[in-house]
Amino acid sequence: MLHRIKNWLEIRIGLNEIIKTQFKEYRVPRDINIFYTLGFVAMAAFIMQAVTGFFLLVYYVPHSNHAFRSVQTIMTTVPYGWLFRMMHVVGSNLMVAVVFIHLSSVFFMGSYKKPREMTWIAGWLMLLLVLTFCLSGYLLPWSQLSYWATTIVTTMPTAFPYFGDSAAYIMRGGEYVSGITLNRFFAIHVAFLPLLFVSILGVHIFLVRRIGISSPPFGENAEMEWTEYRHESHSDGVPFYPHFVFREIFMVMIFVAIMFFIIAFMPTLFLPEDANTPADPFRTPAHIKPEWYFLAPYQMLKLIPNKFLGVAMQIIIVAVFILWPFLDTKKERNILKRRLLLSAFLISVAVWIILAIWGRYS
Amino acid sequence: MKRRGFLKLLLAVFGTTALASLTYPLARFLAPPVEKAKGKQISIKRSEILSGGTMSIVFNNTPVIIINRQDKGFIALSRVCTHLGCIVEYDKGKKRLLCPCHAGVFDLEGNVISGPPPKPLPKIPLRVEGENIVIG
Amino acid sequence: MRHINKYSARLFFVFLLSLLATFVFSSLEGAEKYKEIFEKEFLAEPWAGEQIEKSSCIECHASDIMKPEFRNIPDEWKTSWHYENRVSCHDCHGGDPKDAAMAMSPQRDFAGAPKYSDVPEFCGKCHIGILKNYLESGHGKALRSKGTGPNCVTCHGSHKIQKASIDIINEGLCSKCHSYERAKTMKQALFLTEKKIREIEKDIKELKAGGVFTEEKEKNLFSTHAEFRTLFHAVDVSMVKERTDGFTDKLNLLEDKIQNTLNELGFRKNFSAFLMFIFIGLGVGIFLLSKTYKS
Repeated sequence: MLHRIKNWLEIRIGLNEIIKTQFKEYRVPRDINIFYTLGFVAMAAFIMQAVTGFFLLVYYVPHSNHAFRSVQTIMTTVPYGWLFRMMHVVGSNLMVAVVFIHLSSVFFMGSYKKPREMTWIAGWLMLLLVLTFCLSGYLLPWSQLSYWATTIVTTMPTAFPYFGDSAAYIMRGGEYVSGITLNRFFAIHVAFLPLLFVSILGVHIFLVRRIGISSPPFGENAEMEWTEYRHESHSDGVPFYPHFVFREIFMVMIFVAIMFFIIAFMPTLFLPEDANTPADPFRTPAHIKPEWYFLAPYQMLKLIPNKFLGVAMQIIIVAVFILWPFLDTKKERNILKRRLLLSAFLISVAVWIILAIWGRYS
Repeated sequence: MKRRGFLKLLLAVFGTTALASLTYPLARFLAPPVEKAKGKQISIKRSEILSGGTMSIVFNNTPVIIINRQDKGFIALSRVCTHLGCIVEYDKGKKRLLCPCHAGVFDLEGNVISGPPPKPLPKIPLRVEGENIVIG
Repeated sequence: MRHINKYSARLFFVFLLSLLATFVFSSLEGAEKYKEIFEKEFLAEPWAGEQIEKSSCIECHASDIMKPEFRNIPDEWKTSWHYENRVSCHDCHGGDPKDAAMAMSPQRDFAGAPKYSDVPEFCGKCHIGILKNYLESGHGKALRSKGTGPNCVTCHGSHKIQKASIDIINEGLCSKCHSYERAKTMKQALFLTEKKIREIEKDIKELKAGGVFTEEKEKNLFSTHAEFRTLFHAVDVSMVKERTDGFTDKLNLLEDKIQNTLNELGFRKNFSAFLMFIFIGLGVGIFLLSKTYKS
């Protein structure tokens, strides 16, 4: 049966050739490691978010009078509504974690270097889009947590002199977070960002395939000179299918298993009590904190004595990261041979973790 | 090869189970809600509620008051105060509904006149059919 | 120390330069303190979120020009259950909190502090149901006829009002006018129902912590509890005993609903765990399958 379908397609689009070149003869480095699967896992996570989000759209009402109640209806009345909502909430947090690890491993293995600078930049833009997805989506349930976390984050631009206040005003659609903000964030979350994200994702994947997947730098590879275009083909590598495909699928299964573990045994991990209380503009909850992925920047802002400096530092750090392939043009990709960079990397990761934990408990 | 075949079979079984375990909830999720059983309606004779008078009933586990307003006809309102849930009382003299807990005041449309209630009283669907009033 | 490559030096220099630029620029803003400024500016800005209501009452009564006896009142009020529910000065005393000139004006219905015998009607402006039962009680009748007897403030205090609890009925308070025996009987009659209510409150809290939206249940409990308490103010033990069963039935229904919710939560856990195992199985299967392809 399967053969007949394959044959039908083969006659029309030359399916066999596609399978041959894109899967069986496409080779990946022999020493490819598990971190290389994370890009695919992140993409699978994104698809899951899009699908669950799409179904939640059937019942969610994006108006400040109805938003909270519609989410509660999904959680209590709609059959299995809780399942899709939990998948969306837990899945989003896990996706951010995967994206962070993917970014760190790419950095660690120096895969951002020539000729892959554009891939790195596209990746960082996607990280920023993912964080914007998180920010906009967070407001939609219109709970105490949503309202106040959004209030804090949309107040951050006010640190900038001259245009800071206007920037915050535009973000919120007014003087404070209101139904207008909700509508804007909904439109951004559901229409604008997905289109932008998928476009950049397309570019990112195209670049990875066109340039060729990088080799891990820890072997004894000779450094290559890039003076003209050459696809990195790994002729002595292993076939993409079945070896690497199976590993990618395996990692996706682990991702989903972890997601269901959290949904089953820790359902309130990302939904504290404030997430279950309708938004009340007159009452600030006792300990508002942003979600975990924003804790480190938040804590840094609290520590730096000057508001403007704090926000400016964040922007400079992001700019440094995005432009890193142009700041670090040394050819050596093996970070273990570059003590200074390795220490800087490890210290940054440690500082990030410490700031996040500090932010959580302060 | 035998092992591979077995594993492929195992994966097919697991995969189908996974797919079914996600498709079934999805189908139930997307299915339109079942119509509330029509039989739940309550029918009352018009003549039982005089003009200016009221009747209190329980509909769907909720205390409801049916008012025969002199100017606007019949209306059925939930008696559960939208502030903290106490049961509102009818004040015939002042033509309003009063909540004994924190003095929330509603007019005979259910709208809040004064006090802490944040929202109007929910209206219960009501139809007049000849000699009867049908609630629900 | 290894020879520092010029590229590392270049990027380090760029980083330092940008850091320096921001330090210079921002120090033009002036040196400031840390956390307090941050939280104050981010949260207390009127348009940054919490819209704090202005009160001229508090402004005068908490200041140094006020008589010492009155100066404590705002602080006492801030510890009260009224404060938690955003009931403030003008809600009971009238006046206009937004306009200092009219804050105590009779044109804005300013009522001042009520006389001892006027207290029940004063509190009864909002607590209507309780006033009705109180006036029919022995306590209310004593106040009406003799001018002595407990009014609301006697048991509940005036500005430091706490959430009402069965422990307001205690020997110290109730034996001021008569023997504690009567109060004790009443307390016993109330006791079991109050205990059940407290247990249900705890269950609802647990549900809430478990991620469930409990507004309807909370409202149901509140209305039942409020009705029960209103009943108490008639200070009629036989009436309490008569009506207790009705209340117990209502509370049992609520407990059933809570149990249903707990069961539903259990189902969700099991279903999600089932899905987790399926995907673990898939993962293991794929892993083993990939091993059979090792070339």
